[in-house]
Amino acid sequence: MTYPSIYPTGTTIYDPEKCWNGYTIFQAKEIGALLIDMNGGEVQLWEGFHGMPNRILPGGHLIGSSGERNTAYGMQDYVDLVQVDWEGNVVWKFNQHEFIEDPGEEPQWMARQHHDYQREGNPVGYYAPGMYPLVDEGNTMILSHKNLKNTDISDKPLLDDVIIETTWEGDVIWEWICSEHFEEFGFIEEAKNILCRNPNMRPAGGGMGDWMHINSLSLLGPNTWYDQGDKRFHPNNIIWCARETNITAITDKATGKIVWKIGPDYNANQTLKELGWIIGQHHAHMIPRGLPGEGNILIFDNGGWAGYGAPNPGSQMGLKNALRDYSRVLEFDPTTLKIVWQFTPQEAGLVHPVDSNRFYSPFISSAQRLPNGNTLITEGSGGRIFELTKDHEIVWEYISPYWGKLFRVNMVYRAYRVPYAWVPQIDPPKEVPIEPIDVTTFRMPGASGPGPRRVVQVEGVLPYRTSSTLCVEADVDEKGKNQGFKHA
Amino acid sequence: MNVTLFTATGCARCNIAKRFMDEQGVAYAEKEIKGKGKEDFQRFYRDHRQAIRRSEEGVQFPILSDGTEIRQGLARVLAYTQVGSGLDGFFGYGDRTGGWVDGLHVSGGDASEADAFNTVLRFLKKNGLKLEFDTDGRNAGVLERLLEEGLGDRIVMDVKGPLSLYARILGVPIDDTEIRKTIRLVPRFPEYRFETTVAPLVPQEVGSHRIRYLTPDEIGKTAELIHEVTGDNRQPYVLRPFRPEHVSDERLKSLEDLTQRDLLSYRTAARRHQVYTEIEKL
Repeated sequence: MTYPSIYPTGTTIYDPEKCWNGYTIFQAKEIGALLIDMNGGEVQLWEGFHGMPNRILPGGHLIGSSGERNTAYGMQDYVDLVQVDWEGNVVWKFNQHEFIEDPGEEPQWMARQHHDYQREGNPVGYYAPGMYPLVDEGNTMILSHKNLKNTDISDKPLLDDVIIETTWEGDVIWEWICSEHFEEFGFIEEAKNILCRNPNMRPAGGGMGDWMHINSLSLLGPNTWYDQGDKRFHPNNIIWCARETNITAITDKATGKIVWKIGPDYNANQTLKELGWIIGQHHAHMIPRGLPGEGNILIFDNGGWAGYGAPNPGSQMGLKNALRDYSRVLEFDPTTLKIVWQFTPQEAGLVHPVDSNRFYSPFISSAQRLPNGNTLITEGSGGRIFELTKDHEIVWEYISPYWGKLFRVNMVYRAYRVPYAWVPQIDPPKEVPIEPIDVTTFRMPGASGPGPRRVVQVEGVLPYRTSSTLCVEADVDEKGKNQGFKHA
Repeated sequence: MNVTLFTATGCARCNIAKRFMDEQGVAYAEKEIKGKGKEDFQRFYRDHRQAIRRSEEGVQFPILSDGTEIRQGLARVLAYTQVGSGLDGFFGYGDRTGGWVDGLHVSGGDASEADAFNTVLRFLKKNGLKLEFDTDGRNAGVLERLLEEGLGDRIVMDVKGPLSLYARILGVPIDDTEIRKTIRLVPRFPEYRFETTVAPLVPQEVGSHRIRYLTPDEIGKTAELIHEVTGDNRQPYVLRPFRPEHVSDERLKSLEDLTQRDLLSYRTAARRHQVYTEIEKL
């Protein structure tokens, strides 16, 4: 995690010829919902408008939230889910999920939304040909919170995840409560033991166990697997992932049952071992029909720390016992679990594992498949959004310049690329290429230029070895190459 | 008349029953079912199997028999000892164990027997038991009396529906003011909740065979009634699904079960007037 103290922000790389050009929307830390163009021009800020995440709808509409619940009583509870137009006028609002009376606060209805939602018309909330989220009608699936007790899991109060479907008018017509499916998740006894004792207790509200922490919600949408007769992949079914348990799963919309899952134990069989431990992951979704890779699962595998299981030196109690200090973006076939594309430190050109942590966001983050086969990745913790080609060439990169004053990070939860046509209020911007700067010669004003002023020869010196023989073994070492370092 | 009391080893409720019968001067023979009375109870059980309730936890004691009538469970034994079958409507089978007695139906009994009802309740309270009542709104005067005597620890009111449909759902005439009075009294208990079963309505029109469930709008009106009478939209209120398999009316058995998902629209309607409305989990 070697961050220099001085580095450029805004757009740092841009090749218009290789990019899928459009606007990018993200929640700028403690600023609001920010729409930028490819050159980093700040097209419009919906000031102070929250969003976990923000999404642009066709017509220049924006979805987000008006604010967050007092964190003394709730954790990541957004009070509502709101759609505003280009001018910031409220077009739609939902908050009637739960009536909340927090001490010292005005009693009010709250959506308790967190991490994700999907508007009818599009299964994943980003551009896919012919599947446009509805703007002035339609149902919305919302990921929400609910406090409850479930002694099958723990005797501690739990912060549970709930998925609800609401009509445009605000009537809840479908509800799925995660903890009711505890026995379907396949926790081994060691995991159940630590879950019982410490279901990831957080201090809000006097203490509540954020035991699952679902952080994404998408519909599968039409897909080839279902067309071929595999009922697990019904277009209405819901795929979600949960950082605290390392589980990614599909919920059958009709029955509520779990019909497909990976995790929590990636040692369970050889196929999962080859997929590797997916830890603390975000934004698991099926690439929608019409985009390259359609039908595959795209996921940001954060690494970091997550899971419940046997204690180890990095987790004395077995809480968050899976550890890895770099991230991966994986695209895999949901029927075979075979990886068909990935971006890991190796594809990033980093020496693994000694330099792998240069691609690492231990929380938040996402990946969006673009129509030209590129992938937009949010490496969230460092505020980095970048677009890379199928061959892993970075063709656009942007670093958020917005560090919070309350929380001193420039994190970006999740960014989305949207077509220019979805924002008809303004003309598409001029696209100006930005050549990557050669950092070996780039200097700050006042700093000396590159190269030694004087060179002397020393008799008898040996050439540098092709094998690095570092203090730790790396994939460039002969032995490392032979053993085939795995990114898992 | 020979009275037999079947008791279980270490059964605190059996001891309470014996004390009550002693106080009332009722002569009885005790048969301890794992001791000397074992064979007598086996014979009794074999002969009266249909009359003895057996839950998942087993058979509840004490059981009283006088040769013609059988009463099972502490409260029912006490009631029968007190006045014979006159209190039967007030005392049903309870499921709660530990320090609680339930199965106490305020609306089920004869209001003229309120004195005897309270006598039994006082004895239960005096012996350290907490009392849980249920009511559908009728016998508001009985409820008021036991509340004034401090006999109630918890109550569940089954608000059958909006007042316009109340009599039809119950199948008997009702007095609106009595239902309102009960709704007003319920929040005075230390613990309480309101609940409504989303029940079917049998058509009253001649020739009509269509049976329908209460609608979300009607449940909304029920929640509104609770709000209007109590002046509070934050009452504990639970919606329960109707279970056709549990009724004897053949016309209702053909009804499809309401699913948890079906009940969401009812909850939405109710929450407009009672914000903490929940659906009972099965």
